[in-house]
Amino acid sequence: MLALALFMVVPTVYAVWESLHRTLLVGGTRFSGLANYRTVLHSGAFWSGVWRVLLFAAVQVPLTIGIAFFFAVIFETGLVRFGRFFRTVFFMPFAVPGVVASVMWSFLLLPGLGPFPKLLKDLGLGNVDFFSSRLIVPTVVVIVVWEWTGYNMTVLYTSLKAVPREVIEAAVMDGAGLRTVILRMKLPMVAPTITMLAFINTVGALQLFTEPSIMSAFQPQAVSFGFTPTLYVYNTAVGTSDFNLGAAAAVVLALVIGVLSLAAFAVRRRNGEFR
Amino acid sequence: MSPRRRTPRRPADGVPIRLYGLRRGTTGLLTAVSALFAAFVLAPLVWLAINATKTQANVYGTAGFWFARPFRLWQNLAALGHDVSGAGIYLEWLGNTLLYAVVSAVGSTVLSAMAGYGFSRYRFRGAGTLFRLVMSTLLVPITALSLPLFLVYAKVGLVNSVWGMILPSVVSPVGIYLMRTYIDASVPRDLIEAARIDGAGELRIFLRIALPLTVPGLVTVLLLTLVAVWNNYFLPLVIFSRSSLYPLTVGLSTLSQAAETGTQADLVPVLITGGLVTVLPLIALFLLLERYFRGGVLQGSTTG
Repeated sequence: MLALALFMVVPTVYAVWESLHRTLLVGGTRFSGLANYRTVLHSGAFWSGVWRVLLFAAVQVPLTIGIAFFFAVIFETGLVRFGRFFRTVFFMPFAVPGVVASVMWSFLLLPGLGPFPKLLKDLGLGNVDFFSSRLIVPTVVVIVVWEWTGYNMTVLYTSLKAVPREVIEAAVMDGAGLRTVILRMKLPMVAPTITMLAFINTVGALQLFTEPSIMSAFQPQAVSFGFTPTLYVYNTAVGTSDFNLGAAAAVVLALVIGVLSLAAFAVRRRNGEFR
Repeated sequence: MSPRRRTPRRPADGVPIRLYGLRRGTTGLLTAVSALFAAFVLAPLVWLAINATKTQANVYGTAGFWFARPFRLWQNLAALGHDVSGAGIYLEWLGNTLLYAVVSAVGSTVLSAMAGYGFSRYRFRGAGTLFRLVMSTLLVPITALSLPLFLVYAKVGLVNSVWGMILPSVVSPVGIYLMRTYIDASVPRDLIEAARIDGAGELRIFLRIALPLTVPGLVTVLLLTLVAVWNNYFLPLVIFSRSSLYPLTVGLSTLSQAAETGTQADLVPVLITGGLVTVLPLIALFLLLERYFRGGVLQGSTTG
């Protein structure tokens, strides 16, 4: 009975704790109605950030999952020598904090000084500025792909291992080629995992913060005030000390992500994956 | 039989690849592609290790992927013990990160084990609803919660408090979910029933019977929380304003700001060496206990 109470209390306290935050932040110190929300929703900086992360997600998520699936499936099918070694190496960035990853990449790509721009110049490609307004989003994509492909690959690899061996064997005996096995059999069988990864990656992409915020230390002009919605939240709240406005922006962001998550959950429930 | 037989490798899917009748060289080509991506993954880490041995002038002035004289690794490491930037001391941040990560990891493991066991083994009123409630908190990301948390902290006096960092890190819905699935799968119901009939108390059953059976699950939750807290940036950035409380991530970011904007010399090597020292423990831990990480990822793949 005691244990029962304990187990009931702990999550309940957590739930209350959780709801507390959400109710408190809306009120703030003084009741101002929806004024803050109106400001946020009319802010050009906020929306430009929203569009930027949406664009970012539209490129980064398929790219990450595509590369991850490619490697997961060739490793799992045994088409590569030293597969085990590669799997370990690819997964390593999972252990690297986003801050350190961004610092490393900023140094590597620093205009004029970093090894990669130097290399491109030596190759006769001229001065490539990875921090310019045209290239900054692709640059962040490269960094995030570096950070997360290994994780996605590992999840897909484990999921591929669950595909029943007999099915593949039978298909191969019936003369199915490699392409058929991979695209027509293995890919559909891990489709639920891919959906789940797409969801996780998208939520992560919408919260993009660490990478641009560190890069702005290297090239302040490269990253604007509202480069991503989270940066907008941080800069309004901490930068200009307008906590209430920042909180309103945080709520809008949380709502957007929450709605997306609910949609994803609805899809997964329909597929009977979530109990 | 093809000459491929001399390399009897067993693919994970158990189907010998010679059955596909591939063109020769396919394996070689795909291995080369993998090696290329491996180089992409390793390049920044190699660069970090090499440049931790350089002076500031050499970081910018010499070839990025090779060593240069003078060899300054020891001096750079020594600098981590001083307040070189005026922003704080690296070793202090390392200590903070260790404290936050270890306490949160242990706390979250204990809590997840208890809550997971509760959800897995007791059928109390509203269990399903409660579990769904806990799971729904997964939907709201910590980034969006950090600022609201800060506002609450400002009210209850947890700003610039160690607990402000540790408490939210201890509550882990993912951990609870992982433990519940793990206990569902690895603790036989009959065993619990038998122990009850023999008159063992509930607490005794939990500690003596259920816990030992779930050790791998516990290690997974411990490691995942450890990594998550070690790498967390946004929450400490928002809630700490005193630099002596910073964890490594926030410390390094202030350092990078100081290194790029300040006029003081020689902050860049400290930043790079600091980055290396931040990454090494986790990579070591990860290489040693890889299968537990994989275990967590595997189970994570069935949830969200």
